[in-house]
Amino acid sequence: MTRLMMTTALTLGLTATAAQAEVTLSLWTESATAPEGVFAREFSEMDNGITIDVREIRFDDLVADTLRAFATRTNPDLIAIDNPDHAAFSARGAFLDITDKVAASDVIDADAIFEGPRSSLSWDGRMFGLPRASNTIALYYNKDLMAAAGLDPDSPPTTWDEFLEAARAMTDPANDVYGVAFSARASEEGTFQFLPWAQMAGGSFEDINAEGVAEALELWKTLLDEGLASPDTLTRGQWDSTGTFNGGNAAMAISGPWELGRMAADAEFDWGVTLLPVKEEGGPRASALGDFNLAIFANTEHPEEAFVFLEYYQSQVDRVWPEFTRLPSVAGVELAPTGDARIDAAAEVFAEQLESARNRGPHPEWPRISRAIQTAFQSVLTGEAEPQAALDTARAEIDGILN
Amino acid sequence: MSRVLRSLRDGIGFDTLLIIIALSYLFVFAGLPLIYNVIISFQQVDVFSLGTLWHPNVGFENYERVFSDPLARRVLINTLIFTVGSVALQFTLGFAAALFFHQRFPGATWFRGLFLAGWIMPGLVVGVLWNWLLSGDFGVINHMLKSMGLIDSGIFWRSDTAFSLYAVMMANVWYGMPFNMILLSVGLAAIPDDLYEAAELDGANAWQRFWTITLPMMRSTIGAVLALGVIFTLQQFDLFAAITQGGPAGSSTVAQYWSWELSFREFDFGRGAVISVTMIIVVLFVSLVYVRSTRAETRL
Repeated sequence: MTRLMMTTALTLGLTATAAQAEVTLSLWTESATAPEGVFAREFSEMDNGITIDVREIRFDDLVADTLRAFATRTNPDLIAIDNPDHAAFSARGAFLDITDKVAASDVIDADAIFEGPRSSLSWDGRMFGLPRASNTIALYYNKDLMAAAGLDPDSPPTTWDEFLEAARAMTDPANDVYGVAFSARASEEGTFQFLPWAQMAGGSFEDINAEGVAEALELWKTLLDEGLASPDTLTRGQWDSTGTFNGGNAAMAISGPWELGRMAADAEFDWGVTLLPVKEEGGPRASALGDFNLAIFANTEHPEEAFVFLEYYQSQVDRVWPEFTRLPSVAGVELAPTGDARIDAAAEVFAEQLESARNRGPHPEWPRISRAIQTAFQSVLTGEAEPQAALDTARAEIDGILN
Repeated sequence: MSRVLRSLRDGIGFDTLLIIIALSYLFVFAGLPLIYNVIISFQQVDVFSLGTLWHPNVGFENYERVFSDPLARRVLINTLIFTVGSVALQFTLGFAAALFFHQRFPGATWFRGLFLAGWIMPGLVVGVLWNWLLSGDFGVINHMLKSMGLIDSGIFWRSDTAFSLYAVMMANVWYGMPFNMILLSVGLAAIPDDLYEAAELDGANAWQRFWTITLPMMRSTIGAVLALGVIFTLQQFDLFAAITQGGPAGSSTVAQYWSWELSFREFDFGRGAVISVTMIIVVLFVSLVYVRSTRAETRL
């Protein structure tokens, strides 16, 4: 459905309810330039009697600020929230159960939403939000540096061994080039980056000390110990790490599609994206399922109007890729060309990678589970614990939370 | 009735009224939250019961969990190192700078004023600046050390467990030094010049004048500066948030940061409160020192 048609449909449909009063809703998000911020502005400009105030809150503070606000009932009507944090709110009844509204909606088709994002916003079989988009991580590589190191720029590494070899081949301390940039920070970003490796080795967050996960940790440790990745990997987020790739100081980078726009503008070399290397040829693929969900707070005074915004959002979902390089979370949306061949090539890779992307949780105590995983990889990478011992400790901690 | 009114207008009643206003302000905005903090340290408080006034009582369970946590020992040691190190360095450098600018040379007051520029910056901004300075690969500090031939390869200040706490300490010393300098400068200015003149006539050299006049005369100021220094250092949060986030592997986690992490990352407000209660007890002792030294000041 085109934007114009949708606008008209919504405007007409709402005239009856909106004619009575002007309604103002508040929306909190990490970025006003993300799709929900942009769509909310468009939505406010439409003649439907609903205005949305968008308030931007730093990613790191979003959950804490929202909780504080919720405790004093000064929370917004709508929020865009990172998907692993969603369950904490829906499990405690903070978010509005929209299952019935969705069933009655002509615009939102619950069955079209991909399994991963859908599970992140579900609790007890009920729906508590709408996915904003989905993202996942894959491997970016600098084609020029590959060629310079004598590697074939058209066949990037596909297994852990090849990946490690490529990192070794391209690491060049004399020219300030690291083999790879990623993030092993003690925050949700670190968990997001580590879990795929654990999953490719046969583990999961419930089974973090499974046989093989220690090898994933060893791989990370090798990258740091051999100087193939900057020691600041331990304290740097994904955005800053990938910045070093864009600057030509790392030959590969592990990050998501949100980087594409900046990379296309900043990187003065030829680059490509490929799937995360698997443990062994033919081994299982895995990646992390990222991005935010939109939710309505249960205590809002205007649930109907807030839901109309969710419907508008869903109607615009085909713009999420070309305008924001984020992957739609619903089936049947064509990834429209962006006009940049490298970004369009990346679209296919990320779409394929997304098929193996796994959800974190859902669990209301996800931050504590995530914390246990962070402690495990950080203590190994700093040389304070052996991989298996650290993972066993994390397992005991996580079991205590799950049971 | 008129006696009460008169007393209110001019007399003991007026004094009492003023004190009551100040005390009730303190009680409502500092006393109640403190008491409440102590109460929730004995309760189980999570995100969604945060808004309700009463929570399930768990006795000393929060205390046991915090103090038996594997991180507890490290946090205690880190907090001690960070506080003692920061205060000692801030004070020494601040005192040295105060003495230096106390010498009368052209532009002394101007330069002293310039030092305050660092202190008026918000903590987060200072944190971000130091974050760049301390960067392992591209940081200015490593570049300087390398150019001077002191190190061969970069030190990863933020990411090396041996350096992370000291990286934040460095930033904190820089940040807090001007404040120490200004307070100590005020103390120096208050020492009457004739004392020094008399001592000079008696043949005391600069070193003797410092030990027998400056230091004893500054005793109350020094007490106040040190006490405030400890309190401010125990409050330091922004720099940790901006530079190391307490990492890597908890190597730069201090009590105040841990308390915030437990409360606002893991949403266990009970355990977060345990740490702040413990810190309140420490600060209470330090405040006693502060109150004693400022009381001596009024006697002078």
